[in-house]
Amino acid sequence: MSRQLKFNIFRFNPEDPNSEPHTDTFMLEETPSLTLFIALNKIREEQDPSLMFDFACRMAICGSCGMVINGRPGLACKTLTVELPQEITLMPLPVFKLVGDLSVDTGTWFRATNTKIESWIHTDQEFDPEAIEERMENDLANSIFELERCIECGCCLASCGTANMRDDFVGAFALNRISRFIMDPRDKRTDPEYFDVVGTDQGIFGCMGLLACEDVCPREIPLQDQLGILRRKMAFQGLKNIFKPKEKGRHRRF
Amino acid sequence: MSSSVDTAIFVKPPTRVSAYLDWLQMLTGAGLIMFMWSHMVLVASVNIGPNVMNTIAYFFEATYMAQVGGPIIGATMLLHFILAARKIPYTSDAQGVIWRHARMLHHTDTWLWLIQAFTAMVILIMGSVHIWTVLTNLPITAAKSAMRVQGGFWGVFYLILLPMVELHVGIGFYRIGVKWGFIKRSGRKKFHRFENIWTGAFILIGLITIIRLWTLPIAGN
Ligand code: HEM
Ligand code: SF4
Ligand code: SF4
Ligand code: FES
Repeated sequence: MSRQLKFNIFRFNPEDPNSEPHTDTFMLEETPSLTLFIALNKIREEQDPSLMFDFACRMAICGSCGMVINGRPGLACKTLTVELPQEITLMPLPVFKLVGDLSVDTGTWFRATNTKIESWIHTDQEFDPEAIEERMENDLANSIFELERCIECGCCLASCGTANMRDDFVGAFALNRISRFIMDPRDKRTDPEYFDVVGTDQGIFGCMGLLACEDVCPREIPLQDQLGILRRKMAFQGLKNIFKPKEKGRHRRF
Repeated sequence: MSSSVDTAIFVKPPTRVSAYLDWLQMLTGAGLIMFMWSHMVLVASVNIGPNVMNTIAYFFEATYMAQVGGPIIGATMLLHFILAARKIPYTSDAQGVIWRHARMLHHTDTWLWLIQAFTAMVILIMGSVHIWTVLTNLPITAAKSAMRVQGGFWGVFYLILLPMVELHVGIGFYRIGVKWGFIKRSGRKKFHRFENIWTGAFILIGLITIIRLWTLPIAGN
């Protein structure tokens, strides 16, 4: 006998003045290898065509299907129902702006945050499309790639107590992103310049070490290790030239 | 959650203040941990014999370490409170957010933080009262401590304060480890377990000490 799954799904359409936040319940028979992605599509096809949720890649690569699954932020496409109890409660990710039901706008937040931390390689080298690609040590390339695997799903933000309390906190995502540029020899930013970006209470010193980000990241990015390394690096950077007044970070524009 | 509209039209000059405050928060926390561990050794010495405790207490007073060190510990606690309190939500709005968030997430470390923030408030009040009482009643002797505990009020007072302090210290120790990267992903589980055992052991020693003071014959000590 397969299980009858009970889905409690948060419903609210901010565009509709008559819509009130509430929970709808749907029953669905469990089939082999059922993911939440398939389940939600079935519910929309067979029971309620107005249900809103996001998907694109359905293979944990695009980062659009983040939602709160029985209290934990995670990717719906990667979550098998067999791992869950018979009753499954789905909520939209907090922190981000609600589009409707389970769909949130992560894009605007990530765009703004990436702009704020200048999430690109800062270099004064002219790009020569003819030249052979520069070489990099394999180990270094691998460790940069390890952090580069982030899919901007927003689960780390949604699970972070600090980010939930304070909307100016850049979150584990951005701190991991900066770590990636610090590692990269092609980025010519100096430590004082990185300090100006994340050596603040909105950056690494705002993090309280709750490690929810570490525990929910669907890509298992080593966030705990990166946050620790970054805190030490920035804390020591803060102590350098302790008796000299701080200059405005000579923020070079390339 | 309210979303703030960014209306700043000036650029804030970068400062190092956040870094300094984070250093101080960690260092005052670490300093207080060291103190609490030493404190436990001193008080628990009564289990070996009241005279051992008296001798140690006499040493600290004869060298004026208690008279000078006591107020310094009090001041460190106050400084640590001011620094760490920056992280505790002040408005009922934000308190509601973190409370609902913790209940939703079922996540141990997030709960640990809430326990830390709660025990902090209890320690702030009860710890101050305790420090005041002891320092205004020098010298410290096993007989005086026993008398206080046997009065009943202070016995219950310490039974509440003990687990509060040990929880706060234990969680704080764990948090410094993970926040500053001393404990890596691979070592986190082990460190967590070690911390639980360590905290449990300290609460146990503390309980034994309170019971010992409660049953200590006062005359002659
Ligand atoms: C006076 C009352 C106290 C208050 C209000 C207080 C408050 C706090 C708070 C809210 C935190 C979390 C900060 C964060 O996550 O960044 C914290 C951390 C900590 N507390 Fe306290 N505390 C008090 C007393 C103490 C005492 C007496 C000790 C030690 C015996 C102690 C040791 C620590 C440690 C080690 C940490 C971790 C520091 C860190 O994460 O950087 N605290 N405290
Ligand atoms: S760090 Fe992990 S949880 Fe955060 S956005 Fe990237 S992939 Fe998602
Ligand atoms: S460690 Fe905690 S406070 Fe820091 S970013 Fe992760 S979830 Fe947020
Ligand atoms: S649909 Fe792309 S990550 Fe889930």
